[in-house]
Amino acid sequence: MNGNSMKRAGFAAGLAAGLMTLGNAAMAQDCTTKIGAVLPTSVDWGRPIAETAQYVVDQVNEVGGVAGCQIEMVLRDSQVDPKVGVDAAKALVDLDGVKVLLGAVSSGVSMPILTSVTVPAGVMQMSCCSSSSAFTTLSEEGKTDGLWFRTFATSGVQAATGAMVAKEQGITSIAIMYKNDDWGQDIGRIIAEDFAALGITVTGSVALNDGAPSYRAEVTEALRGQPEALYLALYPKEGIAAVREWISLGGTQKMIVANALKSDEFRDSVGLQFLGDTLGTDTASPRVASADAFVTQYTDRFGGAPNGPGLANSYDATMIALLAMEAAGADATGDEIAAAIPRVTDPNGTPITADGAGFAAAVDVLKAGGTVQYQGATGNVRFDANGDVSAPAVIWGFTEDGIEEKRYVSLEEVDAFIASMN
Amino acid sequence: MIGVISYLVFFTTVASILAIAVLGLNLQWGNTGLFNGGVVAFFGAGAYATLILGGTPQADHLGGFELFYPLALLGGMLAAGLLAWLVGVLTLRLRHDYLAIATFGVAVAFETLMRNAEGLAGGAKGLRGFERPLREALGDGFTYNLVFLAFVLTLLIVVYVFLGRLIRSPFGRMLRAIREDEVAAKSLGKSPSRVRLTAFVTGSVIMGLAGGLYATFYAFISPQDVLPILTFQIWAMLIVGGAGNNAGAVLGTFIIWGGWTASGWALSRFAPIEAQLYTGTVQFILIGMIIVGMLMWRPQGLLPERLVVSQSGKPENKHKTGSRR
Repeated sequence: MNGNSMKRAGFAAGLAAGLMTLGNAAMAQDCTTKIGAVLPTSVDWGRPIAETAQYVVDQVNEVGGVAGCQIEMVLRDSQVDPKVGVDAAKALVDLDGVKVLLGAVSSGVSMPILTSVTVPAGVMQMSCCSSSSAFTTLSEEGKTDGLWFRTFATSGVQAATGAMVAKEQGITSIAIMYKNDDWGQDIGRIIAEDFAALGITVTGSVALNDGAPSYRAEVTEALRGQPEALYLALYPKEGIAAVREWISLGGTQKMIVANALKSDEFRDSVGLQFLGDTLGTDTASPRVASADAFVTQYTDRFGGAPNGPGLANSYDATMIALLAMEAAGADATGDEIAAAIPRVTDPNGTPITADGAGFAAAVDVLKAGGTVQYQGATGNVRFDANGDVSAPAVIWGFTEDGIEEKRYVSLEEVDAFIASMN
Repeated sequence: MIGVISYLVFFTTVASILAIAVLGLNLQWGNTGLFNGGVVAFFGAGAYATLILGGTPQADHLGGFELFYPLALLGGMLAAGLLAWLVGVLTLRLRHDYLAIATFGVAVAFETLMRNAEGLAGGAKGLRGFERPLREALGDGFTYNLVFLAFVLTLLIVVYVFLGRLIRSPFGRMLRAIREDEVAAKSLGKSPSRVRLTAFVTGSVIMGLAGGLYATFYAFISPQDVLPILTFQIWAMLIVGGAGNNAGAVLGTFIIWGGWTASGWALSRFAPIEAQLYTGTVQFILIGMIIVGMLMWRPQGLLPERLVVSQSGKPENKHKTGSRR
């Protein structure tokens, strides 16, 4: 029953897509395949994520598109409102007939899209940035049908690297301030456990809500235990306000920050003179040529380094999705595309770079029946059975010119460190 | 073609769920004059309680009682009603803007509580793990959505008819009397505070029903679903449709929610590529302009309230209404 109706729906969607492409073909003399994207373009940090995704599509189209067809990314704004995001996703799946959906950013939007749109319709969903551990649980329960992937390493890697920095700095007591959302709660909880495992005293763990006019009460509470250092899992907006209060109240300048504060805005607004002792962690930019290439090409294209949250992840999410579509061939279903993901992220495959030339090289290898290893902007991405990625990490700091990497922690080191804490 | 139908089924389901909530608000504001600025708290109470009662067991928080679906929905309505009763007893002596501020505060407190109470409601991660009823028989796809739509439409009609009868009854007349002139109503021996509380709780129970349907349709609820924007959307629907008119409330819902989604769709399809990234912002401007325009040129809404004279003049009715008064 289910299979039948789904097939019928798929057939009709294909027919509809076919009719639409007929119209386009008359104009452009070639075919177009649509992919969907539901991203919060009305939010300041959401727009660059969407721009990066569109950039990948442009690159791939320049070298001939996917399976001989040009890709059209239909972008819808989620407005960070689950109702709006789910409706947009449903419209993309039903009206535009997309087989691949990129998005969303917030886990609170990605989750209802997954449970009520993409899984029932058999559409592959690839998120750049949703971090909630609920997705892992959902997948373990077998409810994602293997259609869910994300290029954002779960908060475990991020937290472990933060704990590693604290240990190396010889810190014995630390306070935690985290953004009060799914990402912040996850990372705040995990890093508190990590610190405890390393024998570092957590003097306080304080949640910061969005958009408060002042964080004086929260900062005072975090200061109370007189910690040697401060761990921050915040976005730039709250981060700027909270750190200003923290420093003006005499808090330590020894700070460890998660990747969301890897932003020039944060550095400029707080002031570099207060951030000399600050170290950050991130799960990006491993020591492969493709990662450097990403930074270079991004800088060329957008006139600034990719310093916002989620940009490298968005790049990889889009590129892997397109590679999988290529591997699955023309007119593949969402299930077939999802099943082709291991073929493009095979550790034993031919390495390819994260750019148009890399995509073109992958097309040749895949056509010959081979597999490729995508070396992306966030490293050699490999998904586990739940669609999660592990990743190497970097430790970075703020400098005069922007943000500088201090040290590269390879995937093996990360895994070994996580194992040492258990 | 079936893609379009499938989308329309989906759209109508969400719009009908929202219409139920708007009908609840119409009872409170349109008929009784209670300015509820915290719609989302009662919507959310229904949503969370329904999922806690009807969901499957989860490792790290309360819930997973796997109650029979209609029972879970009733539980959600009950939770919304209880919350409304508590809030009502405390705040209903307040008038208009003061009541609005107090209830708005309740809604923000509710969202904050859900965001932090990990043991109760899963915290910011939200609540999931609801098994769709009759899933084995109906599957996950189009058929399920169609049956669910029929269920939601039935409930919408039930609520619509119930409220229609309620406001035509002597009780409805009393609501309007209190809305227009509370002192006069009191001088006729009525008890405005009790009637206001009854109307507030009834409206909130209806919002709780909408919340329960919403959460079970998505099989997920998180604090992001109960942000103040939803209160704003539901108010916009009522104001555009016409406060005091149930048909207007439903019409307003379909127009605003339709405009909200269709504008996003149209912009993504017809706006030039360079402008695509700004469609979200453009959409906010468009919707804001619709609401401002309505308030300037047709503040009574598309279908204004029809004030009826209680004594209809028909002989058989005359006797009836006379005896009840």
